[in-house]
Amino acid sequence: MKISKKAKSEAKGLFRACLRDGIPDEGRVREMLSAVMKTKPRGYLPVLVYFHYLLRIENRRRTARIESAVALSEKQTSDLKENLTSQYGKGLIFEFKQNDDLLGGVRIQVGSDVLDGSIRGRLGELESKF
Amino acid sequence: MSKLLEEIEAQIAEAKAGFSRRNVGVVREISDGVARIEGLTDAMMNEMIDFGDGIMGLALNLEETEVGAIILGDYTKIGEGREVRTTGKLLQVPVGKELLGRVVDALGVPEDGKGPLKSDTSYPVEKIAPGIVERRSVNQPVQTGIMAIDAMIPIGRGQRELIIGDRSTGKTTICIDTIINQARLNKAAEEAGDKEYRPLYCVYVAIGQKLSNIARLTNVLEENGAMPYTVVVNASASESATNQYLAPYAGCAIGEWFMDNGMDALIIYDDLSKHANAYRQVSLVLKRPPGREAYPGDVFYLHSRLLERAARMDEEHGNGSLTALPIIETQMGDVSAYIPTNVISITDGQIYLETDLFFQGVRPAISVGLSVSRVGSSAQLKAMKQVAGRVKLELSQFRELAAFAQFGSDLDARTKAQIERGKRIIEVFKQPQYNPIGVEIQVSILWAVQNGYFDDVEVDDVGVVQDKLAEFMSTRKQDVLERILKEKTLSDELIGELRRAVEEFKQTIQ
Repeated sequence: MKISKKAKSEAKGLFRACLRDGIPDEGRVREMLSAVMKTKPRGYLPVLVYFHYLLRIENRRRTARIESAVALSEKQTSDLKENLTSQYGKGLIFEFKQNDDLLGGVRIQVGSDVLDGSIRGRLGELESKF
Repeated sequence: MSKLLEEIEAQIAEAKAGFSRRNVGVVREISDGVARIEGLTDAMMNEMIDFGDGIMGLALNLEETEVGAIILGDYTKIGEGREVRTTGKLLQVPVGKELLGRVVDALGVPEDGKGPLKSDTSYPVEKIAPGIVERRSVNQPVQTGIMAIDAMIPIGRGQRELIIGDRSTGKTTICIDTIINQARLNKAAEEAGDKEYRPLYCVYVAIGQKLSNIARLTNVLEENGAMPYTVVVNASASESATNQYLAPYAGCAIGEWFMDNGMDALIIYDDLSKHANAYRQVSLVLKRPPGREAYPGDVFYLHSRLLERAARMDEEHGNGSLTALPIIETQMGDVSAYIPTNVISITDGQIYLETDLFFQGVRPAISVGLSVSRVGSSAQLKAMKQVAGRVKLELSQFRELAAFAQFGSDLDARTKAQIERGKRIIEVFKQPQYNPIGVEIQVSILWAVQNGYFDDVEVDDVGVVQDKLAEFMSTRKQDVLERILKEKTLSDELIGELRRAVEEFKQTIQ
């Protein structure tokens, strides 16, 4: 779908209106969505498509995906959460996953930042060096 | 063996270091060698992006939510959803004297089957041009070996002289002649052990050319012994627009190495019209807004930043130079089109080649009226200035008079003499391709023409007599030629010797 500049700017406006302390507020998003669907203003569909795209990007930016070769203990989990929150700010969405392919260690991805401390990552690095 | 083991241990030790931090993104869209990537929040302009499997890209569009990157290599292997990462590096190409005699692509990878490059130095492809403080004005000539250029449109080392004309008017030939002449001069200086002579190395950048043309060109250079002083950077028509866009910058980086190391280099961009077309393609696929003739808004900057890198450095900064000869192909002789006017305004002069002249047999088909060199005369050899100072004016007057003379034959003796002289000057400036003439011979011939020694020669015979004079001077009057080269100016005594030599020659041909 072709999204015009006007639709993009309107979507950005809606997105900004849904923020609370710099984080998208679920309640506001729902409220806004129901209002738009009720009135269905002209050209609302591209606006919603781009709004969804912005929300997806923001969600991705705020998601901390933590993969480890073995399951982490509760203390390790809480320590990690605390450290990442202090580094990236409040509002992070944490996703913990056990991944045997890592062979050992942890791989953390927050937005587009990757902190790789896994054996698989180190092996890959060594491979690229040779 | 122990050294190898140490190296492996060092690599392992480096790899052991705790967490590795990197910035990644995901390919969202890929088409025509351009990828749009989500993520990559730390990407910098012109940063290399690692697509994995040895494929690299170059970040060109940094947008609010995504990055537009051009792919250097086979983009058909990249799929949507692939994870890519920033490298923190700018695109670099190998540089150094090891590249002389080689044909490389836009990324510096050899294409000539002569094995890998042994160069251990690299230069970034994009670099800011030298500043005002480091530069000086041109003071040394580039001897092209083409009499019409060396006499009327002299080029200095560090100058940017545009070669412009329609298709098949001899633009590339002028450049090849110039390269061949540099090789001839470099070789002569090497053989004579002349320490004062500064060799001029050449870089030929082929953009969007036919591969057969490039093969022919390299053959000509090899046959004439010019390859050992030349680097050919090839981004042919079969390569991606990305490579064609990058090739001039890569060539410029190779030339800059010579300049930075106190040497002189000459770079030929053949041609910048195709370069602008390649950049237009890349920009349109990157969804940059099109402007005039669908070129992006920064097409002027594209060429100005490239040509500004040609410079003459002062003594404190190595005394090196990079001379640029960009080529522009016009359509139906229209020099007022977008790209030609841009490049004309950037360069320090232009050599305009005319189709009509070419088909009249005036080759090189240089239009004297429209060609100009804004700074080159300060670098011209004084002896050449003495003999060629009036030539351009005389030729312009001749053209005017010749046009006027078409309407009637009743002309006074002075006008007739001017017309006759003009005809002979035009004949003298005709020169076959791949046959550059040394500056000392050019001075002798022009001196003879200016002093009326060709006035009694039939116009059709001027070429033959000129060749005979050149042969006579180089075989029997070498001392006079050597003195011209050494003294660089025509003193009364030298003029006397030149007169005696030319009169002796006239007697022999009579």
